[in-house]
Amino acid sequence: MAPKKKEEPKPVAAPKPPEPEPPKEPEFNPAEVKDAFQLFDRTPTNEMKITYAQCGDLIRALGQNPTNAEVMHVLGKPKAEEMQVKMLDFDQFLPIHQHICKAKDRGTFEDFVEGLRVFDKEGNGTVMGAELRHVLATLGEKMKEDEVEQLMAGQEDANGCINYEAFVKHIMAG
Amino acid sequence: MRINCSNRTSLKGRSMKAAILIQRWYRRYVAHLEMRRRYTWNIFQSIEYAGEQDQLQLSSFFSFMLDNVTQMNGNGPDLISHLLDSVVDPLTEEVRQLKYEQIVVSESYSGPRLSFPLSVTDTNALLSAFKEEQTLHGKYVLQLLYETKKFLKQMPNVIYLSTSYAKEITICGDLHGSLDDLLLIFYKNGLPSAENPYIFNGDFVDRGKKSTEIIIILFAFLLLYPDHMHLNRGNHEDHIMNLRYGFTKEVMQKYKTHGREILQLLQDVFSLLPLATVIDNKVLIVHGGISDKTDLDFLSTVERHKVVPFLDSFVSLEPPEPPREELEWQQVVDILWSDPKNQNGCSLNSFRGGGCYFGPDVTQALLQKHDLCLLIRSHECKQEGYELCHNGQVITIFSASNYYEEGSNRGAYIKLGPELVPRFFQYQVSRSTRKLTLHQRVRVAEGSALRALKEKLYAQRSELMAAFQQYDIDNTGRISTSEWAQVVESVLRLDLPWRTLRPRLARLSADGNVEYGSCFEDISPGEPIPPVTPNLAETLYRYRTDLEIIFNIIDKDHSGQISIEEFRQTWKLFTSHLGVAVNDQTIDDMARSIDFNKDGSIDFNEFLEAFRVVHKLDVKEQQQG
Repeated sequence: MAPKKKEEPKPVAAPKPPEPEPPKEPEFNPAEVKDAFQLFDRTPTNEMKITYAQCGDLIRALGQNPTNAEVMHVLGKPKAEEMQVKMLDFDQFLPIHQHICKAKDRGTFEDFVEGLRVFDKEGNGTVMGAELRHVLATLGEKMKEDEVEQLMAGQEDANGCINYEAFVKHIMAG
Repeated sequence: MRINCSNRTSLKGRSMKAAILIQRWYRRYVAHLEMRRRYTWNIFQSIEYAGEQDQLQLSSFFSFMLDNVTQMNGNGPDLISHLLDSVVDPLTEEVRQLKYEQIVVSESYSGPRLSFPLSVTDTNALLSAFKEEQTLHGKYVLQLLYETKKFLKQMPNVIYLSTSYAKEITICGDLHGSLDDLLLIFYKNGLPSAENPYIFNGDFVDRGKKSTEIIIILFAFLLLYPDHMHLNRGNHEDHIMNLRYGFTKEVMQKYKTHGREILQLLQDVFSLLPLATVIDNKVLIVHGGISDKTDLDFLSTVERHKVVPFLDSFVSLEPPEPPREELEWQQVVDILWSDPKNQNGCSLNSFRGGGCYFGPDVTQALLQKHDLCLLIRSHECKQEGYELCHNGQVITIFSASNYYEEGSNRGAYIKLGPELVPRFFQYQVSRSTRKLTLHQRVRVAEGSALRALKEKLYAQRSELMAAFQQYDIDNTGRISTSEWAQVVESVLRLDLPWRTLRPRLARLSADGNVEYGSCFEDISPGEPIPPVTPNLAETLYRYRTDLEIIFNIIDKDHSGQISIEEFRQTWKLFTSHLGVAVNDQTIDDMARSIDFNKDGSIDFNEFLEAFRVVHKLDVKEQQQG
């Protein structure tokens, strides 16, 4: 059974009521998953199916954050050309989602801050925006340039630095 | 972590691990944002179409009124005919033209002065004036409309065009009063001219604040370039829709002296707008869509200015129409109101209250029947400004950006050349100089959608509470999430992802159940749990759009004032139609409290503000009673 604890704190300063609640905890009932599944169903005849490519997005929309590698693994390592073509219906998706939910602890707010701290050269609570962009686009499961741009929009101060605790809260709130 | 270097503690390893962690979180953030964007869109669309369905409610009220003439205490026939008669103007055409010419425009008027026949100078003057927020003098509006009416009279129902004489034709969709979008299109794509022909596919007016300016510009270009500028009629080019969705109000506010006459002329002009355009005998362009009964040859023979496309058919006092007229009405309504659907078949469009849902097989059949290859239509707002469906045989084109809310959608237009392959051009009008991030845009749109949804919840509060309480036998104030979702879906009849939306609409208690009273909180702050019987305020809230229309009709001279007696009569009738029991004393108290300056007439432009006063009165009554 996956632990029930909340993975991140509620945003500290909610500018206006209601700030979105942080993404849900791992225990779902299928009806709630179904709602979200339907939102992602783009079939012309509303067949309640999604493509393999959408699977990762849906799992993330429901509050998990697997790596792309983990998603591919749980889908059975499909080939690249199969991603847009092969479909999943709801009954096939549910066990996949539950498997991801049960995976060991995803990491907390603190882990995320730790991750960013690696790039905090001066140990003063900020990272260089330029360096972060470079890292995100070249290391790990690389992000595309516009994805990086979208993530960093409005985060850098006049010197190009990012206060990463604020940055983390910004990501958590979304 | 399945990457080998995770075991190393070198700097590279830690960086890699950190990068992956951040990337994971980012992807989750984006997916969650995407979900919020999607359900926001769903909310806007379902509310919009549900609103249009309310037209049916209004028409049934009119029928009720006709049936119950005798119950109006001798004021009956006057009030009814007062309500339903359009302004009757016995002047002949020539006399009218002379009358317009004789209208004197004062020296102090600094706006454009049109001279007929129009020239490029006139259209340029209009464009500059409107960019500067000037208003065209009523005299010229009347003359323009009059000339437009004369011109449209000789046009057929279906217009056949060819691409041979021009490089490309530009096709635009709904504008809905958004002058910014029209100007942006002209800026990007050039003004209409012999080398740059345009088709505007209906719904020029309503909702936006500059509908008057838009039709003035469109009609001016229509007269200037009759062979290169084409307008199709939309479902909003109709005076009942205009009463409801804001165009009538806009005209009356901008033209105090001539407004009524302008509206009368507009009614004629709208009814004379062509219904369809065909390019190169291959591409059909209509505003809404088609049905399995659509027949272009029959459509060409319809007397289009006699067919009133929606409401009035219910209000007709004549005996049942002969079959032919009903068929004509059907054809026109289908063209103006239908929407495509994904499944095969053709079903009644209950959502809109008129027209059909037509499937890919219906499209295929029609295109084959008339040897066409493409159907271009508008009528539905699309995220990217355009959308293809039915295997690419149907294109929806929508030209009003930010239609629901700042940042909600792009607008688009199509350019079509002789090879008949459409090219799409998108744009988005943005009022703020700083570019909003995706997150901010989603947030703004979402806030707006949720507010609208909460209003809907409030408007049906008593039904909802009654249904909630059926699940809450022990009266704890809480029910499970599933039960909550089920109730809301069945009462509101909006097909939305309620479980996903629940966190934004209602609170959870400590035990994980939904506190159902909390979904009414933001609308009426500080309210105790509301009583179950439908009260006056709630009824007012729910039907306020209908009430506005009815009041607009009563207020013949559109002065913004009606007498207390008229108000009382109509309100009584309305509530008895709805089956809500309200006694005379309550109505009188309400009327008096609204008439702030005690002059015997009600300024109902502020009426909707006043209903909050009523609510307080009501609550006091509940507490005393």
